Amino acid sequence: MDIQGVIHFMQNYTYYIGAFGLIFIGLFIMLVKRNLIKVILGLSILETGVNLFLVSVGYISKGTAPIFSNASIEGKSMVDPVPQALVLTAIVIGVAVLALALSLAVRLYQHYGTLDLRQIREQRW
Amino acid sequence: MSLELLLAAAFGGSLLTYLLGKISSGLRDGFAVFVSVILVAMIAGLYGKIGAVTSYYHFMGLELTLRISPLSWFFAMAVSTLGALSVIFSLSYMRDRERTDFYYLMMLLINASMLGIVFSGDLVSFFIFWEMMSWSTFLLISYNRGSALAAGMKYIVFSIIGSMAMLIGMLSLYAVYQTVNIYMLSNLVSSASPGYLLFLLIVFGTAFAIKNAIMPLHTWLPDAYAEAPSPFTAVLSGMLTRMGVYGFLMIMYVIIGSVQTLNMGYGLLKFNYILAWLGAVTIVIPTFIAMLQNDAKKLLAWHGIGQGGYMVLGIAYGTNLGLAGGIFHTLNHAIYIVLLFMSVAAVQYRTGGERDLNSMGGLIKKMPIAFIGALFGISGLIGLPLTNGFVSKWLIYKTLILNGSPFLAFTALIGTWGTILSVYKFLHNLFLGQLPEKYKDIKKSPVNMQIPIVILSLTILLFGILPGLPLKVINSIIASFGFKSLNVTLWGIVSETGSLNTINLFAAILTGCVIIWLILKTGPKSVSASQENTYAAGASIPEGKYHYTVDFYNPFYRMIKPYLKDFMDIFYFKLAGWTQTLCNIVRKTYTGYVGHYVTYIVLFLAVLIFMQLKWSLW
Amino acid sequence: MNDFGLFLNGINPVLFIVVPLGFAFGIPLLGMISKKIVKWVPVFVYSFVLVGALSNIPDVLDKPIIIQIGGFVPPFGINLVAGPVGILFSALIAFAGLMVSIYAVVYIKEGPEVRYHILYLLLLTGAMGVVLTGDIFNLFVFFEILCISSYTLVGYFGNKSGIESAVKYLIQGAIGSSLLLIGIGLLYGLFGTLNMADLARQISSADPVTVFIPMALMITGLGVEAALFPLNAWLPDAHSSAPSSISAILSGIAIEVGLYAVIRILFTIFGISDFIMFFVFLGVLTLLIGEMCAFSQNNIKRMLAYSSIGQIGLMVFAFAIATSHAVAGGLFQMISHTLGKGLLFMAAGYMIIRSGSMKTASFEGMGKRMPLTCVAFTIGAFSIVGLPPFIGFPSKFLIIQSALAKGTVLFTILTGLVLMGTVIEGAYFFRIVQVIYFKKGNGDSERNEAPIAALIPMFLFTAVIIIIGIYPKFVLGILDSAASELLNQIDYIRSVLG
Repeated sequence: MDIQGVIHFMQNYTYYIGAFGLIFIGLFIMLVKRNLIKVILGLSILETGVNLFLVSVGYISKGTAPIFSNASIEGKSMVDPVPQALVLTAIVIGVAVLALALSLAVRLYQHYGTLDLRQIREQRW
Repeated sequence: MSLELLLAAAFGGSLLTYLLGKISSGLRDGFAVFVSVILVAMIAGLYGKIGAVTSYYHFMGLELTLRISPLSWFFAMAVSTLGALSVIFSLSYMRDRERTDFYYLMMLLINASMLGIVFSGDLVSFFIFWEMMSWSTFLLISYNRGSALAAGMKYIVFSIIGSMAMLIGMLSLYAVYQTVNIYMLSNLVSSASPGYLLFLLIVFGTAFAIKNAIMPLHTWLPDAYAEAPSPFTAVLSGMLTRMGVYGFLMIMYVIIGSVQTLNMGYGLLKFNYILAWLGAVTIVIPTFIAMLQNDAKKLLAWHGIGQGGYMVLGIAYGTNLGLAGGIFHTLNHAIYIVLLFMSVAAVQYRTGGERDLNSMGGLIKKMPIAFIGALFGISGLIGLPLTNGFVSKWLIYKTLILNGSPFLAFTALIGTWGTILSVYKFLHNLFLGQLPEKYKDIKKSPVNMQIPIVILSLTILLFGILPGLPLKVINSIIASFGFKSLNVTLWGIVSETGSLNTINLFAAILTGCVIIWLILKTGPKSVSASQENTYAAGASIPEGKYHYTVDFYNPFYRMIKPYLKDFMDIFYFKLAGWTQTLCNIVRKTYTGYVGHYVTYIVLFLAVLIFMQLKWSLW
Repeated sequence: MNDFGLFLNGINPVLFIVVPLGFAFGIPLLGMISKKIVKWVPVFVYSFVLVGALSNIPDVLDKPIIIQIGGFVPPFGINLVAGPVGILFSALIAFAGLMVSIYAVVYIKEGPEVRYHILYLLLLTGAMGVVLTGDIFNLFVFFEILCISSYTLVGYFGNKSGIESAVKYLIQGAIGSSLLLIGIGLLYGLFGTLNMADLARQISSADPVTVFIPMALMITGLGVEAALFPLNAWLPDAHSSAPSSISAILSGIAIEVGLYAVIRILFTIFGISDFIMFFVFLGVLTLLIGEMCAFSQNNIKRMLAYSSIGQIGLMVFAFAIATSHAVAGGLFQMISHTLGKGLLFMAAGYMIIRSGSMKTASFEGMGKRMPLTCVAFTIGAFSIVGLPPFIGFPSKFLIIQSALAKGTVLFTILTGLVLMGTVIEGAYFFRIVQVIYFKKGNGDSERNEAPIAALIPMFLFTAVIIIIGIYPKFVLGILDSAASELLNQIDYIRSVLG
């Protein structure tokens, strides 16, 4: 792979690597961590990764904001605005879920006196 | 009189009975009797109106039809008559019990669904009525609470397994032939491949074998019979269980047809031959288990299984004599087993629900009608000449011997020996011997219990002396299956290989009786002792403790007991236990630890992707 | 068709979403005036929606209603597609929503009542949005509304089990939604559109391998809410710890909407037309595992919850066969499950209140204490098992019929397994019925029936169960056109994009 290719790759796909990296880290945390707060943090990281991924879907290298006020900018070099709108929504949803999760965690701690998920197993089978 | 109207009356009558019960119990009782008697009259009026098909409903794009055939008329008549008698019998038996409205609703609903079953012109109606019968029976078996609950569960689990098997068979027929009409199917199915026919026979056969309690699918029956309210046990044993016989006749001789059914399989592995052997096994083992019972209703219940074996043996053999025997035996069995259960119920009613054979006895003087009922019942059950059971058993034996199946005939005969032994125990322990102290002031059974008992006792004699009455109808059934009809006279059957003439028998037995009576007359006068007199060669006996009927057949009992455990029942209980264990293991999937659940999600995704890469699902 | 007219022939389906949403946010204001009004708001809102949904049925059978939000034509704007499927589900949601809201008027007595009704409206709005939308990201958003409000409602009582279940549900649900979102992002990256019809058109000519990854992600993500095995671990916890009215909605509406999303994505977007062996097996597995888990439960609500898993398995089995009869059967099963399980949960709710425990043993002698509720429970149970003459029978009948119509030995065996599940199901339901009626209670035995407002919805559910059970033609027409809408991808694309 020549240097141009590497540059092209870096310009266009690093975001994806970062995004999926975050997603996997988030999932991994949720898989192995036993503390509820850490699991919620993992969830947050996962969601950040997803959001990053969504933004990168619409990103064009060296693109501009999709505002048609400046006639000199071509439509082709604008980044896609749709994913940004999606991400805004997703962020809002993510925040709501996170807030709910944390508040539930507080209540759970009040009931169990612990946040260790291995011990919070009254509901099973 | 159309069939829809008949069924509407049956179902509507049951609901109306329930509602009337909320107003007044007298009104309800009267109406229940009215409905069931009206049904008998309506069905009797249908005699001879054969072949009318009415389409009454469209369900899921299927045409549901009702049709009356000789077979269905025969069964319907038996169902409605015995149903009416049981309702009459229930009047006092159920008085002062709780939930009587519910009881009558279910009784009439079960009757109505049985009528629906026999009048169904298509398999979907058949299945619907069959299911309604199943769940209402379940509710009524559980009625007595306590140990009845386990009996009900056993019944319903078996029943669901059966109906699910039937559902597969029925819908597979629909998938292949695009119709569920029994009579259209009977034209179409005859050209199907033997493998498919065998599949049909097995799935439908499972359903009907469960209902008819053929070994090894019989284990629900003894508990269900014993625990159900006694008047209902009469219906259950008399007709409901025998819906299995109806089903066998329908699938073997109506849908698949006699030619195909009888040619199924090769040599000793012929389908009907195997079924006949199952029937034979069902005769022998339960009859001997019956001997070991100390519970009056259980004893009869095991006989119910055994007698079912005779019917299957007769039907499965597939000759005109055998079929006539099987069908006739179904009717006869219904009559005498209902009579027997009613006698037991009458005794139960007066003794406060006692069914333990070891603690009763000597009731002959106190409850003469119940005794007569039991006597006629067991005579029919054994198959004494001049009772109806004799004729049908004669037909079955004759079939087996004529067609060179001495082993089957012998097993059937063994069954009869066992029957004689065990029903004697039944009769003796209830009615003969010493009267226990506590039953000294027992009263006669109420009139409404006596009426059905007397009617049924007379019917046993009537069909025993004039078997031509029912055999005429049975003849038309056999003819509708495509068999040669029998040469029936009012007094019996004429055939070149040996005829049956009940008049000769009647004359011979009458003469015998007169001679015996004369001998007794000339002998010394007998001394009648008090029933409470327990003679013990002068030794003093503790009051009320000594009773001859305890441990009847004890030596014999000890001898055969180890061989006659209900192995299948034990097996099913084990199976249920294993299922429970398996379920508990499966349940452990849901560990309660979120980490595991997250793993499941990730794994599911991974498996999905892996499968795509490996096998390209899409 | 008019772009923005609120009244076409029937009531505009946009209102099914807008009105509940508006009232959800209006409730706090109304709550300031009077707390008593608040609990009647959902009743009022969903009577309106039910009338609206029913009024649309004749039009929809003719031709689906496409509504462009803001006047942007698809694929650029978000559109709603109210075809037979959409209207069928909205009618179902509205009916169940209305009934349960009447029930909740008396059932919800403690806790932050005002918030309960807000969340309840939001939950149903989410469900309604999912079934009506024609845009895949919009579907995600409505899905999240549905999920978040149900997480909260599961923990409504704030007790130990409720909070624990809510947390577990939230964690699994959030992972599911994230996976769904990744899938949506990938699809957008590949095809540059979010409109389902447009996606469908482009995917039909795309390379199946590239399309597979987003599909797998979306199925897994939605599968969590649709309670496919093994993604359904949250379900028994959540359904058993939620207030019974919410359990009825979760069981009757939420998981079915999840399953709707799965099949919509599979059939319409990805254009699956032949049967899918993987899902056939998954369905049978889900069914058997659900029923087996339910078999040895002695907690009534957990038992009902596991039974829902079993029912979902049956639906998945039906949809995976993917013939028009089978899909109609699956949809029919959804209706019968919503009615049956909703009825069971509502009846169980008051039985639990009266007996003070969820243990099945504590229901001994209930038949005497609350006869009407118990009759309703029994009918619900019989219907779920599939006994005639209740609605569960025709639906199961249709599914088994279409499975056997495949005519292969494999399908006959699978059908046998499905029916084995039914046997287990029958065993535990009949056991409960016995406990209710034929065991003597040892506590007080005086008659203490559920309040009238709780009995009305139970009675109506029972009535519908029996009426449709005897006369399935009422729904078969719309089921058939719904099935053809799901299976006929090209018509869907044509009707949306013109």
